[in-house]
Amino acid sequence: MATTSDSPTVQEPLPIFKLAQRYLVYDADTVTYLRREHNICGVLIGGLPQAPQQNVFSGLPLELLPEEARLLVEKRVAYVVDDVAKHRRAFLEDGMSAEERRAYQAALRKQGLAAAGEKNRKSEQRKKATLEKLGTENWNDLPEDMLKPRSDRRKRQGGSSEGSTIQPNDTPDDETLFDSPGAAALCKASTPHNARSAEPQPFFVTPTTSYPPLQSAAPPSESTHVDAPDAPQSYPIFRYLHDQGYFLAPGLRFGCQYMAYPGDPLRFHSHFLVNGMDWDQEFDLLDLVTGGRLGTGVKKGFLLGGQEEGGEGRDKGAAKSGDETSRGVRSFCIEWGGM
Amino acid sequence: MTPPTPHPSALQSLLKTHTPATPGPPDIHPYKNLTLQIAHNLRHQHAWTRIRIHWPSPSPSPSPNTTSPPRPLISGLPPRRLYTHPDEQIELLQSHRKAGLSGIPEMKAEREWVLPCSVREKWTLGRFGEVFDSVGKVPGFGEGSVVEGLGDGGESEEAEGEEVEGEGNSWRTEQPKRILMAILDDDSTVVYYIVHDGLVKPRQN
Repeated sequence: MATTSDSPTVQEPLPIFKLAQRYLVYDADTVTYLRREHNICGVLIGGLPQAPQQNVFSGLPLELLPEEARLLVEKRVAYVVDDVAKHRRAFLEDGMSAEERRAYQAALRKQGLAAAGEKNRKSEQRKKATLEKLGTENWNDLPEDMLKPRSDRRKRQGGSSEGSTIQPNDTPDDETLFDSPGAAALCKASTPHNARSAEPQPFFVTPTTSYPPLQSAAPPSESTHVDAPDAPQSYPIFRYLHDQGYFLAPGLRFGCQYMAYPGDPLRFHSHFLVNGMDWDQEFDLLDLVTGGRLGTGVKKGFLLGGQEEGGEGRDKGAAKSGDETSRGVRSFCIEWGGM
Repeated sequence: MTPPTPHPSALQSLLKTHTPATPGPPDIHPYKNLTLQIAHNLRHQHAWTRIRIHWPSPSPSPSPNTTSPPRPLISGLPPRRLYTHPDEQIELLQSHRKAGLSGIPEMKAEREWVLPCSVREKWTLGRFGEVFDSVGKVPGFGEGSVVEGLGDGGESEEAEGEEVEGEGNSWRTEQPKRILMAILDDDSTVVYYIVHDGLVKPRQN
């Protein structure tokens, strides 16, 4: 979940992870920071475990458009980490030193021990509570079927458990569902009953992230050349609008390439439906009419733009930014004439 | 005895008036009838006045300030204001209210540029750029040629001398240039779209 602190503690340049041609950010602080400081929203694509059947509200990770990734890399705010290559190097090609490996395994074991200890503590508590509850009651008052599953289970366990007390493991227990069965079996089989209170066997932990074992790559130094991610031909207008302070979002729902918001999309309606193209790329006038109509119908401007080619790069329009990459970008807004 | 042929339409007559004398070089011919038809539509369907056509000059323009348009353009005066910037509208309404008036303030019409196109044409950003580079913010006083046979196509020179529409409005001169793009379809439907040369926030009407 996003932190509520006022200033996320992240340090530029930030890592963007490239996986299967997607640019992903996994860290909530980074997501907040990019949105707040760099007007980059991206799209949250992670399913929410609490509500897996819907896709209206999504969680981490954040997917960035190639344009966004490129812009951040060009501004030296972020750098791209090739996740596949990194994993391959570290895990398949023996990129980790033996020491790192040992340290990581120790950390995992510690984690497993903590989990097992926690579970033991909980079941002890439950046992105590149950005994207290049952302590004064007559055993004959218990319903018949309450004891049934217990006897079944006792048979399976081959008499290794004692009979008279209710064992914590025998109480209906949701948690056991989520334990790895092998680990639980191993734990039970190898632990003599009277050693239960001693240190439990650690659970096996299946790591869900690979970034404790992998070290976050060192960001490229200021002088090194970085390969900016490839972006479509509409990149110049994207960059130009971003430099003008607009927030850009994917524009599929309005049939355009981007939607341009004058501020954070949570606070403003978008102003423009943006399509970027090359300076000499031909398009049908019908497309212009369609876009102009749609834009006017939803109270937005239909904006076409691209990098002006040829000549001295006259900086017309509102292009006053000193950024050389968005210089010479020209845009045209189209609205219905009302007649 | 052949039945009498029907009278040619008003548009047909207008085109015929302009057929013999070619005001430009042959290469503007593809746009000539298109331009006249748009001018006709502006005059008679939308009641524009003072319509003038700005033909591309055959040779490089003599003065460096006014470059010749790459294709014919029309300028004219709409019966009422065609475009109001949203911020200008707010300003007008506020000053209007301060003055203790109610209703919608009267706005003076401004001369507009019109770019005639056919829907079958292909278009590029570069062409927009060329057109915008060749025009000023407001069509200049006395520029362009009067269209013969259009009726009140701007013959009243003295009327035009009194007020140069749009030039006094700082909103017009400070905002990016704008052009009205007229797109003609085969069934003689004409649709008009305002094109701004830059980022202009949309109207909220």
